[in-house]
Amino acid sequence: MINIQRLSFKWHSQQTIPTLTIPSLVIEHGEHVFLHGPSGSGKSTLLSLLAGINKPNSGTLSVLDINLAQLSHRKRDAFRSDHIGYIFQNFNLLPYLSPLENVMLGCQFSKPRQQNALQQSDTLALEAQRLLGALGLSSEHHHRSVADLSIGQQQRVAAARAFIGSPELIIADEPTSALDAANRTAFIELLFAQANLVGSTLVFVSHDENLQALFNRSISLVDIMEQVI
Amino acid sequence: MILIKLAYKSLLNRRGSAFLTLFTIAISVMLLLSIERVRVDAKSSFSNTISGTDLIVGARTGDIQLLLSSVFRIGHANNGVSWQSYEYIKQQRGVNWTIPLSLGDSHKGQAVLGTSVDYFQHYKFAKKQPLSFSQGRTFAHLDEVVLGAQVAAKLGYSLGDNIVISHGMGNTSFHHHDDNPFTVVGILDATGTPVDKTLHIPLAAIELIHSGSHTSHEQHDDLTGEPKQITAFLVGFDSPLYTLQVRRNINQYKPEALLAIMPGVTLRELWEMLTIVEKILLLFSIVVVLVSLLGMLTTLLANLNQRRRELAILRSVGARPWHLFTLISIESLLITFLGCLVGCGLFYLLMSLATGYLQSNAGITITIAMLSSYELVLIGAIMTAGFIVGLIPSTRAYFYSLSDGMSIKI
Repeated sequence: MINIQRLSFKWHSQQTIPTLTIPSLVIEHGEHVFLHGPSGSGKSTLLSLLAGINKPNSGTLSVLDINLAQLSHRKRDAFRSDHIGYIFQNFNLLPYLSPLENVMLGCQFSKPRQQNALQQSDTLALEAQRLLGALGLSSEHHHRSVADLSIGQQQRVAAARAFIGSPELIIADEPTSALDAANRTAFIELLFAQANLVGSTLVFVSHDENLQALFNRSISLVDIMEQVI
Repeated sequence: MILIKLAYKSLLNRRGSAFLTLFTIAISVMLLLSIERVRVDAKSSFSNTISGTDLIVGARTGDIQLLLSSVFRIGHANNGVSWQSYEYIKQQRGVNWTIPLSLGDSHKGQAVLGTSVDYFQHYKFAKKQPLSFSQGRTFAHLDEVVLGAQVAAKLGYSLGDNIVISHGMGNTSFHHHDDNPFTVVGILDATGTPVDKTLHIPLAAIELIHSGSHTSHEQHDDLTGEPKQITAFLVGFDSPLYTLQVRRNINQYKPEALLAIMPGVTLRELWEMLTIVEKILLLFSIVVVLVSLLGMLTTLLANLNQRRRELAILRSVGARPWHLFTLISIESLLITFLGCLVGCGLFYLLMSLATGYLQSNAGITITIAMLSSYELVLIGAIMTAGFIVGLIPSTRAYFYSLSDGMSIKI
């Protein structure tokens, strides 16, 4: 699924020490990976590389057997919208769209994901409703203003948006940091259930190591960066 | 399509500031259109004041002064034309008709014109339209008066009323000709020209007023009489070909210093003198439009900084930088377009409210018609300017999305 070899990345070309160096990292298809590390360890940088926002300076970074390091800016944008669902820390939603419209937005910039969604349901709206239902947001909330939702509900909408059109990779960047402990576990369970259903790989980033126990694999960014081949 | 929907919903979400921006643009569009419409219509009303007249002849003075005093009743002619000269020119080859004009008297501030019945037959305005009567007929006796539409409306006169003409101009003339009352026998249709503000009496009656004679109540058949002099006269030829030659002859006429002008040419000269004013008006309205567009720029830029999160979210669902560029461009286009639309609405509202006032107070006939191609070009120019101004925040959104990527700033 993800195969990183001898990757190094600098934000600025003048930097002497690279922000991120990963000798080797392999994540298999369907894995639920917990990626942790203290603040400033390069978690966000790695996510921006995985999502194709930035490009490594050297080494290979393959997602779904495609080397993102060799793709143009345009193609990486297209790759992201076709294959990756992304969940932010919080305030994930566009305030001027309803929860339902926010979910549909997830596949509106990608033809393949629209087709995937339409295989599940007759219309995008129905698919969005189905996903919101599966993630535990009752239909009375689907057309409300986003501002009326609690943070936990907003994160479920964000998750539904990441899952619509069944992308192969779901990246979650500290999605539970604003949730209390009970909600946190419940939210992660929902993510797992949904990811298993469609067979998506889940990369979950957090500095909260208490969550580690829930995942079948845990990667410390600090550890892999110090790895020597 | 999704971008248009996003732009629309996003604007709706910020409807407070968006509406204000839109309203500013609407006001500026209304202002520009109104000023241009009034300017164009004022110009045509102005050049419509007199038509069908080939020459205006008066005592030697400036071209424009003669035009102003004889047609617009503005200012005084210092000298007149002697009756002999008038009779002489009248006999010239090619002369079809002449209308003697004698000005200088007034009634409650409105100009009184002594003339012949030919006036109602040959005087034309706009596109060679003759004068027409809304009520009554031309004067047939020395003590009868025909009123311009506005005189009748303003002073509340109707057929059969008796009015008194005073000597000299102005409301407060000392010397009232109380002993020479006139009967209203006709009221003209509105023309949008100074004719509306004029009282027309027989030329011979002017002489009677001035001589202080009390014979006006006797029935006279000769309405023209033989006054010593008249203020000016209008000439129409059988063919316009005579115009230049007769004009030269009059200007070189030995017995008396006379001036003949072609009204069309002089009207144009007069308007040229006013172009500086119209240019300043146009300049002001263009500046107002620019200011309103800068207002939009400020609002969009100020909002953009608060919307970097929104841009990052859109990036995360696969929007490319140029999608975001387009999104902001659509927003600015939408604001400008709706602003122009609302502005046109306000413009028609204003015009329909102002027509009556402009017609009666400034003599400008406003045509409430579809937007002319010139006005559409103006609106197109505003839209283009709005689009170009909108490129600034759009470009900024483009670069924000490149530099921020999906990391959420702020």
